[in-house]
Amino acid sequence: MSEWHLDPELFEQYEQGVLNPSRVMAVEAHMSACATCRGRVPVDITWLTGNWSIVFDNIHAPQAGPVQRLLTRVGLPEHRFRLLTATPALRWSWLIATLSVVVLAVIAASLSAVGETGGASRLFLVLAPVLPVVAVSGAYGSGIDPMHEITGTTPSAGPALVLWRAISVIGAATALAGVAGLLLPGPGWYAAAWLLPALLLCTGTLALATAWSLQAAAAALGGLWLTGVSWVLGVRSEVFIPLVFGPIAQFVYLAAAAAAVAVLIRRRRHFDLGESR
Amino acid sequence: MTTVTVQGVSKHYGSLTALDGVDLEIGVGVTGLLGPNGAGKSTLLRCLATALGPDSGSIRVRGLDPAVPAQRTEVRRRIGYLPQNPGLYPNFTAYDLLDYVAVLKEVTDTRQRRAEVRRVLDEVELTDRAKTKVRKLSGGMRQRLGLAQALLGDPELLILDEPTVGLDPEQRMLFRALISRIGECRTVLLSTHQTEDVGALCERVVVMSGGRVVFEGSPRELAGVADGQVWLSESPPQGNTAYWRNADGLYRTVGQQPDGAEATRPSIEDGYLMLLGRAAIAEVVR
Repeated sequence: MSEWHLDPELFEQYEQGVLNPSRVMAVEAHMSACATCRGRVPVDITWLTGNWSIVFDNIHAPQAGPVQRLLTRVGLPEHRFRLLTATPALRWSWLIATLSVVVLAVIAASLSAVGETGGASRLFLVLAPVLPVVAVSGAYGSGIDPMHEITGTTPSAGPALVLWRAISVIGAATALAGVAGLLLPGPGWYAAAWLLPALLLCTGTLALATAWSLQAAAAALGGLWLTGVSWVLGVRSEVFIPLVFGPIAQFVYLAAAAAAVAVLIRRRRHFDLGESR
Repeated sequence: MTTVTVQGVSKHYGSLTALDGVDLEIGVGVTGLLGPNGAGKSTLLRCLATALGPDSGSIRVRGLDPAVPAQRTEVRRRIGYLPQNPGLYPNFTAYDLLDYVAVLKEVTDTRQRRAEVRRVLDEVELTDRAKTKVRKLSGGMRQRLGLAQALLGDPELLILDEPTVGLDPEQRMLFRALISRIGECRTVLLSTHQTEDVGALCERVVVMSGGRVVFEGSPRELAGVADGQVWLSESPPQGNTAYWRNADGLYRTVGQQPDGAEATRPSIEDGYLMLLGRAAIAEVVR
């Protein structure tokens, strides 16, 4: 260790920040090798801790991506975004699976349109209402979310969290299917004809999930829909579209969805782990 | 001061009785819940953590009733829970995961949440692993991260289900030191198969068997259950509750005195074995 130490006058100038850069470098080079002089530098612990925390958070805290910035701009709080992005069905694997189904449905519908005008969009109309249901089934539950038990024992747990997650995945799946619907051949209303059946299946799934698991409810209602419409397609192919997607059918879907919402509101407490089913 | 009161709590899974009229009071400090597989430890902890509603009986956490939805939320604000299989998201970093759980625990202000995440990372000594993905953490570190998420929000009651399972001796020692430090000012209830954990950590021990509480007291009192009933002999005994050959080549027997055996000081494990032997006999008689 050096026998020479910074003289008081030089040290004071260093502390006051009035030294020119080359002398600062010389002083700091000396201090890096001299514990005695280094020890003379007063340390503001509060300042240091505060700055360390800022540096630490900047390195480690999750950074806002373009989607978060967009949603924050339209009013979604940052913490709500954090909550929703951890939803299993909003992970890439789920979104890619949903997107794949949509793309396949559009391709199939477009190809069939070449040879069979009018029946082109049937496949899409049959599949599209199920997509949000599949997404809902991945929103919550012990079989789907590895942290389900931890999540279910926090103050945010319960119906509000389930509904927030369900709405977010329904939104994502509906947006994907909606864009695909616009690409379909056929009359313009085809692009929206699946929305009310999808609403019914989603609300019905959530209502049924107050008694069963979300996955079982989604499988039951999704399966019921696919079986039902396939049967109609088989026996009344010529009137399939008006029968399943016509005005009367749409009204029935809306009324049934309203009934499902009423059941959901009445039985919402069953989404809480702490409730006995 | 009592943190948790459990009165006559029962829980059934179909025809299986997991909890059978459990009565219990737990106060500040570390309490160990000991018992064999299927004794009802995890079910009791899940009921206390509000992950499960009991079929009958009552639970109070600081006087709050988790059976009432509004009070259940209040209870959840006061507890930290580490389940047996916490299932921490493998692709999250330690920091991200804690940030997410902090949101679930209603720490919505970003600055406050980040300070809280830093605090618990520091408490479990994982600050230098904040950026590491969960899947890349060792078993011990993952368990400490699980504990860190339970500590978010500074809960009054910590419920830890088998927190030391699968840890090597060094990690186990680190974990014990951590829990005993945490238990100085909080109520910690942990379940374990390990009598060594109880001896090293717990001021109180509760032994469960067949869904019932069969013992409540200090670890010393648990060892005392086998007072005058632990023996060392040179040959294997006949018809006793349990025996095994120790490192000195002597047979350690818990129960009746074998021929030529000498009495020795009982351990917590001896008391536990003696107790479960009695409980098993009592169950057969009932």
